[in-house]
Amino acid sequence: MGRNEIRLRRQRTTARGIDRFRNYNTVLQRYEQTQRLKKVVKVFGFFVVILIVIMIIIFLSRWENSSERTNSLETSKVVVATAHEKVTM
Amino acid sequence: MSEDEIRQEEAVISEAKKDPKAFGVLYEKYFDRIYFYLLRQTDNEELAGDLCAQTFVNALNNLKRYELRGVPFSAWLYKIASNEVNKHFRKNKGKKVFSIEEVRIKELVAQSDDSWDEELIQRLIEFMKDLPLDMLQVLELRFYEDRDFKEIAYILDITESGAKMRTYRALDKLRKNFRLKVKYDG
Repeated sequence: MGRNEIRLRRQRTTARGIDRFRNYNTVLQRYEQTQRLKKVVKVFGFFVVILIVIMIIIFLSRWENSSERTNSLETSKVVVATAHEKVTM
Repeated sequence: MSEDEIRQEEAVISEAKKDPKAFGVLYEKYFDRIYFYLLRQTDNEELAGDLCAQTFVNALNNLKRYELRGVPFSAWLYKIASNEVNKHFRKNKGKKVFSIEEVRIKELVAQSDDSWDEELIQRLIEFMKDLPLDMLQVLELRFYEDRDFKEIAYILDITESGAKMRTYRALDKLRKNFRLKVKYDG
């Protein structure tokens, strides 16, 4: 067995019979289909990006809120502790 | 291709970038060549027809990105067609087929010491079976499609000197193995 498959054609290939494959309208239709698909993918991708950005914003705002809450809690603890210290002194 | 023809083709391409219907002219012009190129590489009319349609669809899809690079527009189509065939055989894990017309072999090779008979054709086919794929591709584009080395280099993504070297090596092998005079030296 060789590396390639070589087939010998005894007859010269002619243009006869080729016309059943020649159809520019089909090519145009397939092209329009792929263009439509590309558009759908683009719009979908756009929405995904927007969704990711919104999620990041929500995550960041929640994180900010929670860190603010813990900060204020710690500050109040410190205030209470210093007040307690002053009283005991 | 004359300068005038190239200019006309360029005008059609820029028109087709705006309106895909204008591409129909190029489709009609190159359909036969691309179809036969694909038929030689598949030996299957239905498959060649399908790959040919896909080649033109891909060409339309990427037409906006097409720019002149010193090779005719047809070379770009050959490149897309070649990629389509490779993709098909990769996907189906099949062996690449080269369908050769007997008449073209006879045209290419002039008789010398050996008489031109069935046995010689069979030996030639056996020899070609063992040629590296890149050499076969270059030979096919050079002798069956009449592409020049610059175009072959562009189609196969190799350098021009690489295309020349592969052709000469393949021809040297042919001459040594068969004591044949190949009707080509340029």
